[in-house]
Amino acid sequence: MFKYLNHLVISKFVMAFSGAYLLLFITGHLIGNLQLFMGREPFNAYANFLQSIGEVLWAERIVLIIAAILHIITSIYLKLHNYKLRGEKYAVRKYVKAGLNSRTMIWTGLMILAFVIFHLLHFTFGVIDSKNYNYQELYTKNAYAISFAGDIEQANQQSMSMEALNPEPIVYERHDVYKMVIMDFRNPWVSLFYMIAVALLGVHISHSLQSAFQTLGISGPRFTRFIRPASIVYGFFIGGGFLIIPLSVLLGLIGGNI
Amino acid sequence: MKVKLHVWRQKDKSTPGHLVDYDVDGIEPDMSFLEMLDILNESLILKGEDPVAFEYDCREGICGCCSLTVNGIPHGHQKGTTICQLFMRKFSDGEDITIEPFRAKSFPVIRDLIVDRSAFDRIIQAGGFITVGTGMAQDANSILIPKKIADLAMDAAQCIGCGACVAACPNSSAMLFLSAKSSQLNLLPQGKPEKLKRARAMIAQMEKEGFGSCSNHYECEAVCPKEISVQFIAKFNRDYLAASIKEGA
Ligand code: HEM
Ligand code: FES
Repeated sequence: MFKYLNHLVISKFVMAFSGAYLLLFITGHLIGNLQLFMGREPFNAYANFLQSIGEVLWAERIVLIIAAILHIITSIYLKLHNYKLRGEKYAVRKYVKAGLNSRTMIWTGLMILAFVIFHLLHFTFGVIDSKNYNYQELYTKNAYAISFAGDIEQANQQSMSMEALNPEPIVYERHDVYKMVIMDFRNPWVSLFYMIAVALLGVHISHSLQSAFQTLGISGPRFTRFIRPASIVYGFFIGGGFLIIPLSVLLGLIGGNI
Repeated sequence: MKVKLHVWRQKDKSTPGHLVDYDVDGIEPDMSFLEMLDILNESLILKGEDPVAFEYDCREGICGCCSLTVNGIPHGHQKGTTICQLFMRKFSDGEDITIEPFRAKSFPVIRDLIVDRSAFDRIIQAGGFITVGTGMAQDANSILIPKKIADLAMDAAQCIGCGACVAACPNSSAMLFLSAKSSQLNLLPQGKPEKLKRARAMIAQMEKEGFGSCSNHYECEAVCPKEISVQFIAKFNRDYLAASIKEGA
């Protein structure tokens, strides 16, 4: 399966396609996460919605995992390969165009990888800080039921016996993602770690976007003049967008009601 | 003018080299960089020492022989200029100047500042040509080519094959060279039929010679004495990708 690694140009296509998918994912992920600023109810509803579309979510996850594996293996292979092909090191070396972002792709990438592993253990599997992971929130689809909220058993029994017309349960329980995020980010160490990681992600992306277009041959005098600065702006928005979430929690701008 | 040089000296391929300091005096600001080295060599010869070996031919920026990395930049700091066309007036009096050969595993140092760039020749032999029967040149206007295309092919054809792109690339990638040398043919009707075959052959040879992959640092474009654009790499990739999808890799 990894025979393509013997072909440098094909390997670059794999980097660009997998990276482009990661870019799409990360953009969607950011838009989803920014709903945190809308409050507990909409955010938990969004998280619950993602869980409810099980198969679709899993299909997306499988593509994501494949893209991530291809991206990581190919990048490490290419870096090691290219490293071997350098000549003797220059005693004096000056870069004219290559920025720090393009020259540190493998390092920002590896740090993103380390962060992603932590992040999954933290918020997806709840292995780290499981106390915060296990919060549940009661919610209802019907304003009438709010008076019962507090005891899910009693509320649902009451409603079913009282309302023959409405045999559906009216108070539900769901994972309180909002509270988990708020409680976790109140820990300054966790927040700091997240902020550093997403800043590095922004640096990675500031080179990535235009790089993927270039690798796949989408280029032209006008497009190039547009996409190179746009890539930097995009990295700034993605990094900054993720960064303001822990920052706002730390500063107490969101989550004050928890 | 006076300059302080730090020059890479290396006896041969297998002997490790090192930087040696030389003070050079009596330089006219209107001398070229290579003429400044001539002055150094004359003084070394008079002292009975080995002159510094460096490569050149035309000294007018068209042959691609000169190949020095000056203060960390292949062909020196002046944009779009070969080192033979860089004049001493672009340096300040008393400046420290470090001169090293082009560095890449596939460009081994033969002596001092001279590297073996025959890997480029072998890439051209692999596919940088068109297979036509020789004979009478045909009438100039029998194949019409739009001006825009002709200009683009001309831009690619400016490549003098000096190897600065490889020397500047952190990956020692030859993609700018490859893309320029294939675009100058692929863009024109005579080169089109063998486009994919050419790409495959040149890429295979490039990999065999030990050039790296492109990470889009754009350092090649920045140092290219002919200012060849990395858009040729994008175009080369696009054609190769499309062909690979259509005909299988
Ligand atoms: C959400 C996370 C990530 C996104 C959105 C992303 C996106 C991208 C994109 C779009 C490219 C440009 C591909 C091209 O040059 O054509 C790229 C390049 C690269 N990525 Fe990532 N990436 C991510 C994570 C990672 C990780 C975890 C690694 C770890 C090893 C990594 C290592 C690299 C390297 C080394 C390159 C440059 C490859 C080269 O040009 O030689 N990336 N990335
Ligand atoms: S010597 Fe011919 S280009 Fe410099």
